[in-house]
Amino acid sequence: MTSYIIRRALGLIPLFIGVVIISYVLLLAAPGGPAGNVIANPRMTVEMKEKWLNRWCLEDSKDPAAILRMFGGWSGVLNCEKDGFDALFSEQGGLNVLPAFLGGGDNGFLHGDLGNSLNTGRLVVDMIWERLAATVMLAMTAMVIWITLAIVLGVFAAVRRYSVYDQGLTFLSYILYSMPTFWLGLMLIFLFGPMLHLLPTGGVVNARDWPAFGSPQFWTAAGKDPVTAFLDMGTHLILPVVTLVAVNIAADSRFVRASMLETLSADFVRTARAKGLAARRVIYRHAFRNAMLPVTTNIALEIPFLLSGAIVTETIFSWPGIGRLFIESVGERDYYVLMALIMMTSFAILVANLMADVIYAIIDPRIRY
Amino acid sequence: MSYPGGAFESAQDQKDRGLADVAQRAGSLDTPTDALLARQDVQDYLVASQEEDFEVSLVPLSQWQLAWRRFKKHRLALVGSVIVGMMVFIAIFGPILWPYDPLDLTKITRPGGDPPSPANIFGTDYLGRSVWELVVNGARLSVAFGLTTMVIAVGVGVTVGVIAGFFGGWTDGVLMRLVDLMLAIPFLFIILVAASFFGSGDPLMLMVIFGLLSWPVLARLTRALYLSLREQEYVDAARAVGVRDRRIAFRHILPNALGPIIVSATLVVANAIILEAFVSYLGFGVRSTDISWGTALTASQGQLILGNWWWAFFPGLAIALMVTGISFMGDGLRDAFDPRAHE
Repeated sequence: MTSYIIRRALGLIPLFIGVVIISYVLLLAAPGGPAGNVIANPRMTVEMKEKWLNRWCLEDSKDPAAILRMFGGWSGVLNCEKDGFDALFSEQGGLNVLPAFLGGGDNGFLHGDLGNSLNTGRLVVDMIWERLAATVMLAMTAMVIWITLAIVLGVFAAVRRYSVYDQGLTFLSYILYSMPTFWLGLMLIFLFGPMLHLLPTGGVVNARDWPAFGSPQFWTAAGKDPVTAFLDMGTHLILPVVTLVAVNIAADSRFVRASMLETLSADFVRTARAKGLAARRVIYRHAFRNAMLPVTTNIALEIPFLLSGAIVTETIFSWPGIGRLFIESVGERDYYVLMALIMMTSFAILVANLMADVIYAIIDPRIRY
Repeated sequence: MSYPGGAFESAQDQKDRGLADVAQRAGSLDTPTDALLARQDVQDYLVASQEEDFEVSLVPLSQWQLAWRRFKKHRLALVGSVIVGMMVFIAIFGPILWPYDPLDLTKITRPGGDPPSPANIFGTDYLGRSVWELVVNGARLSVAFGLTTMVIAVGVGVTVGVIAGFFGGWTDGVLMRLVDLMLAIPFLFIILVAASFFGSGDPLMLMVIFGLLSWPVLARLTRALYLSLREQEYVDAARAVGVRDRRIAFRHILPNALGPIIVSATLVVANAIILEAFVSYLGFGVRSTDISWGTALTASQGQLILGNWWWAFFPGLAIALMVTGISFMGDGLRDAFDPRAHE
């Protein structure tokens, strides 16, 4: 088992490197580029610009060799304080890729430096960290609710197959599945905001009462009055969570239903019934547990959603999360933030794929590995 | 909904089976009288079925005809087709009947635009543009988006899938690693970046970007189909008579793989329409002078919060209707091509 996991994990490394290179080249091949942003920045002195361009190997050029060099600087393979072939080595003399204590350099993401925002100059790590809480809070709440609901509804639909309930659910899931997320969100905003005046329609907390969500000031303020903070967040969560649940429940409940139907028609279920076991017991002890095998891996595959899935919903509800950070950075061409986010979410996708395989191998003894 | 196997076994299927039973009895009888009686049975059966206004067709039907017959019986699919047909009709003829002229604005009577009224059935936005005109004119670009993206994605995806699945070997390995790579990048992220950095608001460019990012799923599907289909006997037969590889791949196997490919192509159309709307709504998509369902929605959220719902409601409703129609159709196609798919 361990060797299987290690083998699979090692297989992901070239894939991850490929993803990083492709997204970096895609970003840099487009018109514009980080070098232009730095050079045009009115808040930096000439020396600061020089230092920055050198550290990140930035050049205002679309030449493939230049792009490769920039990638080397950004990833931490190259040390652009030096020229030509020497750039592979750090100031300490060792290969630049190596960690600093082994004589390597200190630049690039391989050494833990994800860069700064080209817009505000803040550290990318800090910016992401600040937004992470909001996204995870929203996505996790939604995911727990929709997965639970999908399992309950799906199993029920499979057991009562072709009943009015099953057909109604099928029809509803088609409608929800085709609903554009952002339009559903807009309509909910209208319904519960200006029309009924029931729920807040944007943000994590009431902006009049609290400092910006995610900032240290917010956490100290919330620490003083946790109950109010919690209630405020709760009411702000309702609409975006409903949107996410509505859109995502359709596919998942269909999946559960299909899986449950397949198990219900399996031979061992018929045997259990023939032995005279109560229908309830057969359904919930025999069939249900086996039907959950594919469902579990499906859930594992949905984990990257925690980071990148709520991008549409976050935009509509001005939720200060990862998705919104991404959209803001696209608008501002904030290359370092974009790269960090793409890298982070791709990594999550790859890890989720690995996890799905491993979970499946663990819970299903028929899988050979 | 119709269900394969259960309600799906139509009256026609049952009659076909009844006829087969009768004919079988006729064949297994010994005495001439019995055989004669049995033959009489067959004729009675045929006459009876004709009287019930039902023709027993002894003409062999092709796969496509069978699929079409099943599709026609799928009620939701028909509803979907009608919706999609209507939308396509509006997309083609709507802009001729109600042309959009940015200079021809209605005089608005309130700051957020006028609510729906007999003069402007969908109301107007805050500039005085008729929302009905926005929806009708947006249909053209949005439908074009869906179709063009689909054509590009299917073209690239199927070609890659066929090469990988049929020929195998190292090309298969390289192409599938490429597909893995593209699927490992979060789709919405990369499409936003590509649309914003390369799109420059040009609809055609954006369609190409969408298409070039949507093909990996189709490639994977086609490859899987080819992996199983290339082991079929008819492929061996074709090879035995000396048909060349390329002809086998595209003329012999492709028609058999087309069903699932068409089904997922419908999904690509639906997704492209939603994506275009979202990307344009954010301002990274089509430039605002080109009217699509997405650009029609831009800035509508600000008015929505003030209680002016109609501007955001109708273009969004058009998208939702179109996508629902397409997915109904897709479901019908799935049942039509593979009656057991829903079991």
